[in-house]
Amino acid sequence: MDIQKVEKRLKKPEVLNLFEGSKSKIKKLVLIDEIALVEELQNIQTKEKAFRILIKKYKERLYWHIRRIVISHDDADDVLQNTFIKVFKGIDNFKQDSKLYSWMYRIATNESITFINKRARERNIDITEMKQKLVSNLQSDKWFSGNDIELILQEAVATLPEKQQLVFNMKYFDHMKYQEISEILGTTVGGLKASYFHAVKKIENYIKKNQN
Amino acid sequence: MKRVINHSKDWKLTKNIKTGLSVPEDYFTGIEDELFSRLIVEKLPKHDGFKTPEAYFESLENVIIEKTKNKNGKLINFKRRNIKLISVAASIVLLLFFGSNFIYNTNTELSSEEIISWLDMNANSLSNDEIAFALTELNVNDINPYLTIKNEDIIESLLDSNDVDYLIEE
Repeated sequence: MDIQKVEKRLKKPEVLNLFEGSKSKIKKLVLIDEIALVEELQNIQTKEKAFRILIKKYKERLYWHIRRIVISHDDADDVLQNTFIKVFKGIDNFKQDSKLYSWMYRIATNESITFINKRARERNIDITEMKQKLVSNLQSDKWFSGNDIELILQEAVATLPEKQQLVFNMKYFDHMKYQEISEILGTTVGGLKASYFHAVKKIENYIKKNQN
Repeated sequence: MKRVINHSKDWKLTKNIKTGLSVPEDYFTGIEDELFSRLIVEKLPKHDGFKTPEAYFESLENVIIEKTKNKNGKLINFKRRNIKLISVAASIVLLLFFGSNFIYNTNTELSSEEIISWLDMNANSLSNDEIAFALTELNVNDINPYLTIKNEDIIESLLDSNDVDYLIEE
């Protein structure tokens, strides 16, 4: 780790902004760690080693985020690999005006939605219909071991508008803070709370209607 | 009782006492909704039911690093690549066949843009990126115009395709 470079980067105003709301020492250390990792990723000599660390650190979190959008394991695997390849190609242009993980989550989200949209277009249906179609295949999916109520929950989530699906999955399954979701989706915390509430109400109604 | 009154919000306001405590911006926005959401989600299942093949995550670093080293740095799904290359090869064979007739009859040369446009119109399952990628992988001069693709190869590729369930449904 090049301490001098990290210290220099720490003094930049856009990086100082990242510390806003991160008053705890641990959060600051995580950020310093992240800045150092980006430095290594942007250095041709250390890029591969740092990229390996990056994949190790984020592969599971990003996989599950993608999987909940694209539903099937094979598709999630493709989208995850494409996400990391885009990160690898784009890291040199990453200016650290957002957090690394927010940037990666944004790429993963865009890749997943583009993937689903493409599949929907090929079948001449809209994205919500496509999601419902994918969820309807879950019962015969060998990589789904959910019980009836877990299956109904997935069906209920698939009926939600895209944004509400994302907010629900990130909040409920990924246990992300509204502030973190806000950085990724570019929506205000107030807007996210409203989206989550609407999503939860719709899911509750769907489960009440379909659980017998 | 007097103590309770002394610590009420109104009392603090009248005395202009600052507690030094603050809340994050937006904290009170939609707090009712949030509380109701929490009550509802308590009844929902905690797991999504998804699983992965055993040891899937263990080899992921190597797989991805390897893919960043290929010429184009683009993900190649071997199963899909097979079918796409066959599709493109078939398109090119057709193009050479019809295209040569076209050139012969009209004495007009086809530009690269026209070829790409033809592929775009006729190979509608492929995106521009995929066609461009497949073409960089193939040396067009090396393509044998009498190339024959065995039926078994086509069937195997179709069976390997992830879209096979969809085709059966259709």
